[in-house]
Amino acid sequence: MNKLEIFKNGVTTENPILVQQVGMCATLAITTSLINGIGMGVAVIAVLTGSNIVISILRKYIPDEVRIPAFVIIIAAFTTIIDLLMHAYTFSLYKALGVFIPLIVVNCIILARAEAFAFKNGVLDSTIDGLGMGVGYLVAMILLSSVREVLGNGSILGFRILPEAYEPMMMAVQPPGAFILLGLLIGLVNYLSRRKKA
Amino acid sequence: MKNNFVKLAGILFLIAAISAGVLAWLNDTTKDLIAQNEAMASMDPAILEAVMPGSTAFMEKDADLAETIKADNSKFINLLTAVDESGNELGKVVRTLSTVKGFSGDLELYVGFTPDGQISGVSVISHSETEGVGSRVTLPAFTDQFIGRDASGEISYSDYDAVSGATYSSESFLSAVNNAIAIYTEYVK
Amino acid sequence: MELVSLFITSFIVNNIIFMQFLGTCPFLGVSKKIDTAAGMGIAVIFVITLASVITYIIHYAILVNLELEYLQTIVFILIIAALVQFVEMFLKKSAPGLYQALGIFLPLITTNCAVLGVAINNIIYEYSFIESLVYSVGTSVGFLLAIVLFAGVRDKVDYADLPESLKGSAISLVTAGLMSVAFLGFAGLQL
Repeated sequence: MNKLEIFKNGVTTENPILVQQVGMCATLAITTSLINGIGMGVAVIAVLTGSNIVISILRKYIPDEVRIPAFVIIIAAFTTIIDLLMHAYTFSLYKALGVFIPLIVVNCIILARAEAFAFKNGVLDSTIDGLGMGVGYLVAMILLSSVREVLGNGSILGFRILPEAYEPMMMAVQPPGAFILLGLLIGLVNYLSRRKKA
Repeated sequence: MKNNFVKLAGILFLIAAISAGVLAWLNDTTKDLIAQNEAMASMDPAILEAVMPGSTAFMEKDADLAETIKADNSKFINLLTAVDESGNELGKVVRTLSTVKGFSGDLELYVGFTPDGQISGVSVISHSETEGVGSRVTLPAFTDQFIGRDASGEISYSDYDAVSGATYSSESFLSAVNNAIAIYTEYVK
Repeated sequence: MELVSLFITSFIVNNIIFMQFLGTCPFLGVSKKIDTAAGMGIAVIFVITLASVITYIIHYAILVNLELEYLQTIVFILIIAALVQFVEMFLKKSAPGLYQALGIFLPLITTNCAVLGVAINNIIYEYSFIESLVYSVGTSVGFLLAIVLFAGVRDKVDYADLPESLKGSAISLVTAGLMSVAFLGFAGLQL
């Protein structure tokens, strides 16, 4: 695969949330507002790309038998780096994302890419793969959180866009809404990709 | 075999040590900024305005009294004085935790009192309630009902409007308000 | 009793899957067979409870005393990974049937958000040791309940006549959403 294909792969063909359907805990919990969705997406891009790069650099030095623990340590380190940086520089977003920031370490996507790609490929390719998957994750977050914020709060990025008369659909920002809307979103993606193949 | 094991453990240890080192450095670098953020969180102008309209700062002027209260009341955090930009005192503010746990732990509140013993405003500083459900106790639609209430005695459960579907969070909120009222009537008035 | 109330809250009212979203990966991926789901749930109860106890002790005894709180994420996840390794070895010897049935999902308990989530929450909510124990057991029993209920429902969903696009994860998520509505109804539960 050439560089562009690697990137596109992460965003569309093998989109971590909409296609591979992994790492959904944060997706369901965080997406009550667009700014939160974007914040989490960017955090994941940072951790995923960072760990992909480091693991790729070290791939010849990490023995196969201990690769999983090694990945976990590196991913946990990057998660903590992002945690500290957000705690210091993006405080309100840090508070909004709460426990889901340290939970980035158990986001299956990151471990999966380390194992499936970064451990077996060069640094540049791994960087692009990390960015691609991360952006794919961000795109899914943006889609879901925009829908949830508009329906459940009548706003986007905090700005009221639906008329005052609109009674917010409370369910959209509550747990059931998260499950249902994500399910419908995946259904929509399935439908569009099947039509494309036909 | 044993040699191999030592080598594997050694590599893992090395990776862990380097990671810990990087984190230690970063932790040190950001420590002050983080502490500042946590302190500032409760000094957000929007919160100040909501708790005591017109105030620009909450100052610690009753340190001794605060110590006394703290010894007696484990949920009490601090007693502050709200001032406006000219330095005029507008009233007292009690910072307290709830005495009854919410959905997920305690709520932390500011409860402001006017000099004639009425609640000037209430604001949540921190909570871990469920987004979209219990978190609605932070909204003015809920907190506004406490403004103007007389701080003469406890507000009973039948005397206020809980957030529908968030009984735990609402009652936890009320317990914090009542704790503030109790502290105000006993120590400050 | 406050502890009983805490148990019921973490088990039903604040259900880990339907209200907190932690542990959704194995929840969606778990086999449609109820007994495998039950086996997974029980393994998770064991891991979460043990992980909570160990991480709680390590956090307060070591991390806080040495001012190393920033290492919490790394230390906790390594403890969990090691624990799952042991559970795997234990099951392989004493319950090989279950070990086979769980397959890839057993090591995946390491990346189950619920395990790390509960461990971290114990610290955030400032629970006492007993409270954290009750919370962990309650939460993981809630996971078992959710997973078994879901396996039961999915069985029926399989026979439904659905548009192609909705089959698989899509309808699973929508179903989970509807079940979540039921759990949302517990939100006003007073004890």
